[in-house]
Amino acid sequence: MTRIEGEEPQPEAEIIRARQHARARITAWLLGGFVVLLFLITLAKIGLHT
Amino acid sequence: MQMTNPAALPADWRDLYALTKPRVMSLVVFTGLCGLLAAPVMPPLALGFTAILCIALGAGAAGALNQWYEADLDAKMRRTANRPLPAGRMDRQTALHFGVGLGVFSVLLMELATNWVAAVLLAASILFYVLIYTVWLKRRTAQNIVIGGAAGAFPPLIGWVAATGRIELLPMLLFAIIFLWTPPHFWALSLFVRSDYAAANVPMLPVVAGIAATRRQILIYSVIMAAAAVAPWLLGLTGWIYGASAAVLGLVFVAMAVAVARNRAPEPSAMGPEKRLFAFSILYLFVLFTAVVADRWLLT
Repeated sequence: MTRIEGEEPQPEAEIIRARQHARARITAWLLGGFVVLLFLITLAKIGLHT
Repeated sequence: MQMTNPAALPADWRDLYALTKPRVMSLVVFTGLCGLLAAPVMPPLALGFTAILCIALGAGAAGALNQWYEADLDAKMRRTANRPLPAGRMDRQTALHFGVGLGVFSVLLMELATNWVAAVLLAASILFYVLIYTVWLKRRTAQNIVIGGAAGAFPPLIGWVAATGRIELLPMLLFAIIFLWTPPHFWALSLFVRSDYAAANVPMLPVVAGIAATRRQILIYSVIMAAAAVAPWLLGLTGWIYGASAAVLGLVFVAMAVAVARNRAPEPSAMGPEKRLFAFSILYLFVLFTAVVADRWLLT
């Protein structure tokens, strides 16, 4: 999004961007955690079958 | 400046979190964990952790779908009016997608990490809470809490089955204890927030049958629950730690229910016995389930 020089920032756009940013960051952490969890589940399952 | 309707903005993550009813979830997670820890077989740590995580996510999904369906009702009650949907901070479609997605994910992950029986039980608990309790019973009958209480009774059974793959007598009894605990717990609350339920046209027992009848029912269910709580010990499924805890806690619970039954005050400000019973009922469940685990780990 381009902002015109001297124009006040749109509060609503700021809110949207802040929320999207926060949700994207949390989603990334959750996905990372999920990958680790799947890895640990796989290890545990292999351990159960050997 | 003209502001857009807040519900049209992307939902704040804190509101998505609030949609999962975190406080209810803590009790669900605790009883689920106790069911898992009381089982005779211990799964590997990663699988046990995942099972509890799935129970938490399943409870969160059920809470989100409950709020999705009850947004109109929540708006009429002081206790719930500030939830994300009635407060207008989120649109209903987001709540629906979030709830369904979380529910499906929790069931699939449970099947992947543990076994299909636990996954089916988890799916059944979510569907029971949403379809049987929220959609069907809550607005239709004063027995909503009695039958709907089964949904909250699933976690220890799911925890046990996640560890063992089998449904056995002890987790069934733990299910029965929570099932019988739910009516006195919720009716005690509904007595002092009766006006809220009446305003929202929810047929809770104090609204439909009156305060005196509710107090009698609380006492009756408390006696039955206290008796059911000592059954695992009498049947030889647990040791003396659980038996003594269940007996003492049950006596205190019934004594407090007697105080409720003897109270004649109609106004919430004079409902001290009801408020004390409600607070104690939460402590009761925590201590009782801790005793199940203590018994299993210290005596066997």
